Amino acid sequence: MATVAAPAAVARRVPPAPRRRKPRDWPGVGLWIALAVSALIWATPFVFMFLTSVKSKADVSQLPTWNLPTVWEWGNYADAVDTGNLWVTGGNSLMISVIKVPLGLLLSAAAAFALGRLRFRRHKLVLALFAVGSMVPIQIGLGPLFNTMYSLNLLDSRWGLILPYLAFGIPYQIFMLYGFFRAIPDELEESARIDGASTFRIFWQICLPLARPALAALFILDFVATWNEYAMATTLLQSQANWTIPLAVQSFNTQHATDYGALNAFIIMSAVPVLIVYLMFQRYFVQGAFAGAVKG
Amino acid sequence: MRYTRSAAVAISATAALALVTGCGSGGTSDAGSSGSGSSGEKVDLTLWLPTQEDSQKAGLETLVSDFEAANPDITVKYEERSVDDHKTALRQVAGTDAGPDIYWYWEGPGLGGELVNAGMSLDLTKYYDQYGWSDRFSDAALAGITQYGQHDGIPWTLQGEAIYYNKTLFAKAGITGTPTSYDELVADADKLVAAGITPIQFGGTVNWHVMRLLDSLIETECGSTVADALNTTQQGWDSEPCVTDAFTALKTWGEKYINQGFMGISNDDSSQLFYTGQAAMALEGTWFDANLTDNGVNPDDIGIFAFPTGTGRLYGFGEAYYVNATSKHPDEAAKFLDFITSTAEQQKVVGAWAAMSPNVDVAPATGNPLHELWPPIFKAATGLYINNDQNLSLDQTTEYWRIQNSVLTGDIAPADAGAEFQKFIDANS
Amino acid sequence: MTTTTPPVARRDARRADPPRPRAKRSPFVRALPYLVPAGLLYGYFLVYPMIDAVRLSFYDWSGFRTEPQVWVGLRNYVRAFTADPVFWTAFKNSLIWVVLSLAIPMMLSLLLALGLNRKLLGRNLFRSVFYLPAVFASITVAAMWRWIYNPTLGAVNQGLKAIGLESWTHQWLGDPKIALYSVFVAAIWQSVGFNMVLFLAGLQQVPVELVEAARIDGAHGLQIFRNVTLPALRPTFVVVVILTIINSLKVFDLVVGMTGGGPAQSTQVLALWSWTQSFQNHTFGQGSAVATVLLIISLALVVPYLAWALRGEDH
Repeated sequence: MATVAAPAAVARRVPPAPRRRKPRDWPGVGLWIALAVSALIWATPFVFMFLTSVKSKADVSQLPTWNLPTVWEWGNYADAVDTGNLWVTGGNSLMISVIKVPLGLLLSAAAAFALGRLRFRRHKLVLALFAVGSMVPIQIGLGPLFNTMYSLNLLDSRWGLILPYLAFGIPYQIFMLYGFFRAIPDELEESARIDGASTFRIFWQICLPLARPALAALFILDFVATWNEYAMATTLLQSQANWTIPLAVQSFNTQHATDYGALNAFIIMSAVPVLIVYLMFQRYFVQGAFAGAVKG
Repeated sequence: MRYTRSAAVAISATAALALVTGCGSGGTSDAGSSGSGSSGEKVDLTLWLPTQEDSQKAGLETLVSDFEAANPDITVKYEERSVDDHKTALRQVAGTDAGPDIYWYWEGPGLGGELVNAGMSLDLTKYYDQYGWSDRFSDAALAGITQYGQHDGIPWTLQGEAIYYNKTLFAKAGITGTPTSYDELVADADKLVAAGITPIQFGGTVNWHVMRLLDSLIETECGSTVADALNTTQQGWDSEPCVTDAFTALKTWGEKYINQGFMGISNDDSSQLFYTGQAAMALEGTWFDANLTDNGVNPDDIGIFAFPTGTGRLYGFGEAYYVNATSKHPDEAAKFLDFITSTAEQQKVVGAWAAMSPNVDVAPATGNPLHELWPPIFKAATGLYINNDQNLSLDQTTEYWRIQNSVLTGDIAPADAGAEFQKFIDANS
Repeated sequence: MTTTTPPVARRDARRADPPRPRAKRSPFVRALPYLVPAGLLYGYFLVYPMIDAVRLSFYDWSGFRTEPQVWVGLRNYVRAFTADPVFWTAFKNSLIWVVLSLAIPMMLSLLLALGLNRKLLGRNLFRSVFYLPAVFASITVAAMWRWIYNPTLGAVNQGLKAIGLESWTHQWLGDPKIALYSVFVAAIWQSVGFNMVLFLAGLQQVPVELVEAARIDGAHGLQIFRNVTLPALRPTFVVVVILTIINSLKVFDLVVGMTGGGPAQSTQVLALWSWTQSFQNHTFGQGSAVATVLLIISLALVVPYLAWALRGEDH
């Protein structure tokens, strides 16, 4: 991927300006202003949320949203943690994500490897079958999924939830990784085979490392998607001790909607882990998009 | 066992009335059980119930900690959910192992009865015999328990619903006394509007809040017999002219008397209007006494009068604690239920959920002046009519609410509402 | 697609161990161990429920364990199409959502991508601001916007009042005529960033030589855009279109968190109506019928796309 960007960057390097000042790039300035205004508009919900989260109930009822609070009620955050059971639900979400994401990637990589390199007959059909699953709304299967999990005695179980999560993450990842594995030059594999490498070693020591950029991007995207998943969690997790963060947010939204300060504080706190992940791994989000856009 | 809804309603209605009129009369002493002779293994009981207001929560905590102190081998964990989420969650787990040991629920056929039909409620007859509960609760309260042919649950509250009003705002509008007929109520609402005060507040997003008004209007326009026929047999919605009258009245209320923008806010939001004196009336039930004081309202400012339906019946329903049929610890669950309804414990928490305790030996709560306004209202009532989401089946309730809201937003004409509802009922029965 | 090249495998034939005699297994058999885990999970927890949903649509079932499933044939479909007032609302809303998503967020994200496709001061910050909403859970976005749309205390109505436009204040989530669009605005806020990044990636693929050549030939911005950039963006467009359509059909969390389908079921969409009928009304047959309709619509859109995408796959 990097090689594609390079020529663009090179081409865009403007030759050094002549001695006299270049005329102002007014369209460029105008564009920047337009972007800045749009970005400000885009960011206002965050700002309002934060402001509300530090206000007392009186402030919220009497002052407009954009006013600074008269008293900075940081206690709202402590209340929110209590009311919304943040530690327990956060721990659940973390546990599920940390287990599901690497495992899912491994399984997807294995399947993508099988489809992309061990090219058996009709492998494209199998790929298509996997891909279809990634594209239909999951709500279609929620009722029967509830029954399936019930028959396996895995209702209301965080471990149990991991299984359908894996099932729903795999198709998209296979689709994405397929392209990466396909693009590995055949010579690499052939020479490895000549040297006596087993299929597994080819998978583990050659293909996986080569797909590292895609794996990293998918890891991040999958982590965020798992953390944010609501529909399956609400159907399959009943006890509040097993809830994940999205369920806690919705519960807060329905039960304590008039605790405006605490509600907004809870929303902010529930998004902090994902925010951290995004800020630390920004470029992988973009790379994930690369993978999606190019491998149409 | 099968039951007929009309029989169930009739039984509970007349009997519930007897409950409150006979309240406070002496009964045999109850056997308040404490000190367990359990086998020593640790038992965790789970209890699901809707969101508890402050004083309710305090009461629940008292009961739970007292019970755990008396029974060191048993811990009780409870989970709260919003009303609608609570209903959904219980329906989801009916018959599975993912449910709680004990659940709190409304007794009516459309709600509690639905779960009984699904086999979720454990028949508690043997515990009634063991603990002598038949003597602890009045016959009227027990009517709601036995309406399905066995003993389902133990009675926890009997809620009456009426109109709470702000005395100051009423005086400001020049209203003296409380309305005794529906026409007077409308006239009073007009006076409030003229004085620039929002007559009544509702939160439309939860559906069952505005439903209270619709149910009361149906009772008013149709009278008891027809209303019961409509609600329990689900026939006649397209043929009874009073149905159109009721929906027309509902539309008028929505246009003139209900707080602006009620369709988009929840009942929590709209109740704030009543707490802060921006709306003059609220159609709530006995639990609201505690809500008011929890939210800083001076109870002396508030009065209560029954919705003047002209039929003499009071709006209300019973709530009970049920034991889950799939519970692995029914004995401990029964022990908990026995404990929390015992005289000693009830005397500590009476008034938190309703003005009167289900235990006949416990005197009505005194802390809140509003509690004292209820006995006369109950006494004056000749019967009870239940909230319709406890009468109708689940999909009928969803459709009922849709039609109710569509009439309010103008998408369905009041004249068409009844027919549309009947059409749904017939097509889906 | 280029990849980094690992150290070239040694072609040194003087490696000590002789090639192990390997039985000739068909590629399929060799592939099985790699396919089976993913395939099993996929088949049992995704495909099977979807197929079962179709099966359930021919039955009447309350969903309660203790009650049996009763065969009713096509009755659930007949009811959905003729006797279910909400089904057509949900269908229409899903359709509106798809069309609007293709019209508005896609155009916005393309514009933003074009704007951000050059070296700008604070470009990363801009990109982050627009992308950040996509990182939040939809249910969280719903909770945020429900607060923003609060009729008395929310920012929108307060803002309108403050600038003197009080007549423009509305019951954003309480007026059935506009509730769906209010929810859609939140969806725009959430989704523009993601598509913008996709377009940015696609714009990186535009061959710079062509752009330079066109500029040398005297073409100016708009002409370059129309004749060079747009055609080069076509693969990206296809991806964005298909993803937008699929995500539109999947709308669920946003509606649940903001309106629950109301007021008067005016914001219902197919995915949510199916869930409501199954899990709230306890009519699993009806819910499955709606789910099957959604499945058919999805397949009708997805399968042609897949056929096209995978056809161009051959060496």
